[in-house]
Order: sequence, then C-alpha cells, then structure tokens
Amino acid sequence: MRFFRQDLHTLTGAYALDALDQGSELTRFNRHLSRCQSCASEVRGFREVATAMAFAATTEPPPEMRDQVMAAVARTRQLPPEVRTHARPRRTRSAAPWIPWLSGAIATAGIVIAVLFGFAQAHTQNELNQARAQNQALAAAQARVEAALNQAREHDQALAEILGAPHVTLLSQRTTKGGVAVVVLDAATRKLVVATSGLPALPAGKVYQLWLIGPVKIVSAGLLPTAQAGVTTPVVATGITKGDKLGLTVEPAGGSKQPTTTPILALPLPV
Amino acid sequence: MNPNDSDASRFTPATADRRGERDLDDLLVHVARGDQVAFEALYDRLAGPVYGVIRRVLRDPSQSEEVAQEVLLEVWRTATRFDPAMGGAATWVSTIAHRRAIDRIRSTTAAADREQKTADVRPPHDEVAEAVEASLDRERVRRCLESLTEMQRESITLAYYGGHSYRQVAELLNVTLGAIKTRIRDGLIRMRDCLGVN
Repeated sequence: MRFFRQDLHTLTGAYALDALDQGSELTRFNRHLSRCQSCASEVRGFREVATAMAFAATTEPPPEMRDQVMAAVARTRQLPPEVRTHARPRRTRSAAPWIPWLSGAIATAGIVIAVLFGFAQAHTQNELNQARAQNQALAAAQARVEAALNQAREHDQALAEILGAPHVTLLSQRTTKGGVAVVVLDAATRKLVVATSGLPALPAGKVYQLWLIGPVKIVSAGLLPTAQAGVTTPVVATGITKGDKLGLTVEPAGGSKQPTTTPILALPLPV
Repeated sequence: MNPNDSDASRFTPATADRRGERDLDDLLVHVARGDQVAFEALYDRLAGPVYGVIRRVLRDPSQSEEVAQEVLLEVWRTATRFDPAMGGAATWVSTIAHRRAIDRIRSTTAAADREQKTADVRPPHDEVAEAVEASLDRERVRRCLESLTEMQRESITLAYYGGHSYRQVAELLNVTLGAIKTRIRDGLIRMRDCLGVN
C-alpha cells in the first residue's frame, strides 16, 4: 500500500501537465488528490510553472478572433453561481465508493464535527485542535458526520481543500431567530464552508438562502440544504470579496435573485 | 514571508507580469457578474497565452483558433465558478486552454498524423530562443528550462508543449514509466524553484 501511494504521489508532475491518460489512473489520482494536501499543493505549484510556460508561448491570435469571441459572449448565458457545484475541469466523477475517502479524511472531519456540533466558542485553531482531541465526542459524532458527508460528497474535494487549508479561520454567530451558523473561512482562497445548527424549521415553500453581502453588491451564495436532526450539511461558497458579510435570509422555495427579507445573520468575513 | 499574508503568498511571480496578477483575478470577479467590458480587458490579457499554448500543442492554426475561441467562451460561461484554489485567474484560464488542446488531440483520430509530427517536437529552448518577442516571461522560462537536465527538459516539453501523455513520452524517449514520472516531477520542482513560485 505504501509503495502504491508513493507511486501515485510521483504522478503530481504528469498530472499538472495534463499528461495522465483518461481512465482509471486519472480517477485514482483525483481521488488521491482529494485527501493528500501535500500532493494538492504540489500540483498547484506545478500548475503555476505550466502557466508560465503557457505565457512564454504567447502568440498573437488572428485579429478577427476578438470580435467573434465578443459576439459569442454577448449571446451566451453564464452559468449560475451555484455554490454546490464546482466547475473543475479536471474532476472526474468516480463511481467508486467514497467510504475510503471518508476514512482518509477523518483528520479534516474534525473540523466538520466542530461545525456540526456548533462548537461556537472555538475561535482559534488551537481550540479546534482541542475539540478534535475529544475522542469520545468524535466517536459519538461519527455516524452523523458520515451521513452529512455522504450528502456532501459531491464536492468532497472542495470541502477537503478548505478544511485542510493551512490557515483557516473559524467563525460563528447566532442568528436573530436562534440557532447558530458556523463558518470555516479560508481567506487565502476566498472560500468558506458553512454549516448551521438549530435554525428554526421553515414552513413548506420557504428556504434559507445564503448571501455574500458586499458594500456594493449582494450575490447569492446558494440555498441551505434541509436540516437533518437540526444540522445542515456543509455548503461551500466561493468568490468572497473584501468587505463581504455572510448573510442568511428566508426566501421562497428555489431562492431569490436578491434578498426579499431581512437577514437573520450578517457575519463579517475577514478576507 | 508572513504566512498569514494570504494575498501576497498565493500569487505567482512566475507569470507574465507580477503586478497584473491581482488585476486578473479582480477582472474575473467582474466577469463572473456579467461584465462584458471586464471580459474584453481579460481577453486582451489572456487571448495571447491561450492561443499560444493551444497553437503550440495543436500546431494547426485554424484548429487552434477554433479551440481558443471555445476556451475563451468557456471562461465567460464558467467565470461564476472560478475556483481560486487552483491558483489564480491566469492559471485557471491557461489550465483550461491546455486541457482543451489535449482533449482535441486525444479525441481526434489524427493519432497517426500526430505520431508523424512528433519528429518535429524539439525542446522548446530552440524555438523560444528564436521567438521574435523577447518578453520577460519567455526569457525566464527559457533560462529555467535550460537549468534542467536534458532528460527533464525533454520530458516536460514533450508532455506540455508536445501534448503527449507521460506514457507516450516514455515511449518516445525509450525509458521506463517510473523514470518519466520522476523526471517530470523533479524537473517541475526545479522549474518551480527557478521561477520563484512559492
């Protein structure tokens, strides 16, 4: 097994240059990448090398291309900023069971457990580590975490990346209607994971919607999933800009383009 | 470097212009909000590298133009889902461009044609040196490629500019798969250090 891992690890270079063949090897490596932080950061560095090589190959495109692209842009609708979906060109959905990923990610799951259990007072990495060390809580939590992560597996890699980032900030705030939102913020990549606990249940036809509330614009950060036993599964939000606050409102099913009710949460995001 | 200084620590000094990197990310944020003027500015900054890297891989000008257009439209369409964890706008866009070029090669039945053309593939330092435009980028990349061993340089350029899989590179250079993996990785580590990527 160790040899196998080692062997996979040396593929970081070929992977970063898009030199892995499509198929099982790529799938396996993608899976490995989602739970190997050092591999992921190595790949990031290598991609920057590749970027420099692309820039070094800069060639003036045919002049008519600009108008053609701009014309196509004018008639092409952009994808909605769905926070639960990540357009990862490299991502290959794997039909393989995700359970091995989970066991590999138990360390990062410590943070998710903190999130899910609303360790609202844990404001520093240190305290988080202490929380993580509470093995008993870990064991008791595992079943619920597995269920939560099962649902979250669609963006497991995004989650793993944020939770495994070197300098995350843990933030939490009570909403004005009770319950708490817990946020793991990675300021470096301007992404966050948010989970909530104990929010009031909503009547049929209503949903909780997250917002990035900036000084100039308010952008939807997606809908909160339905709570299971009072806890919502982690949601990833990206593209945080300076001055943004994380907002939460009650909206009609399907969500709104802009908030239609008073936010019950406005949590400043230090990025 | 202060590890908490996230803004300063995450952008590459390796790409075209250091100071412009942040601007590119900001531009992409505006593009994600449907700003076509911002997209024009982004186009002016990135169309050259996009077209250039695709052209390097595909060689055929009209095919390259077609793929470059697809890539740039893709950037517009999916800017809303730009993931900064991948390393900034320049890296995001050039990664899409390179991958699309690779997809084009691997999906076309022109495999035989490609094989014939591999004879043309040279370590890029010749071509780079011949380039009319002596940009800072070109110069840095050329210098850093030259700091590699010949095997590392050949492996990296055959894979990236040649668009070959590492298996094909192993075949071309007549060495084992393990050796190629290691050479590509070691070479990239040296490139990374040479270019000052953190």
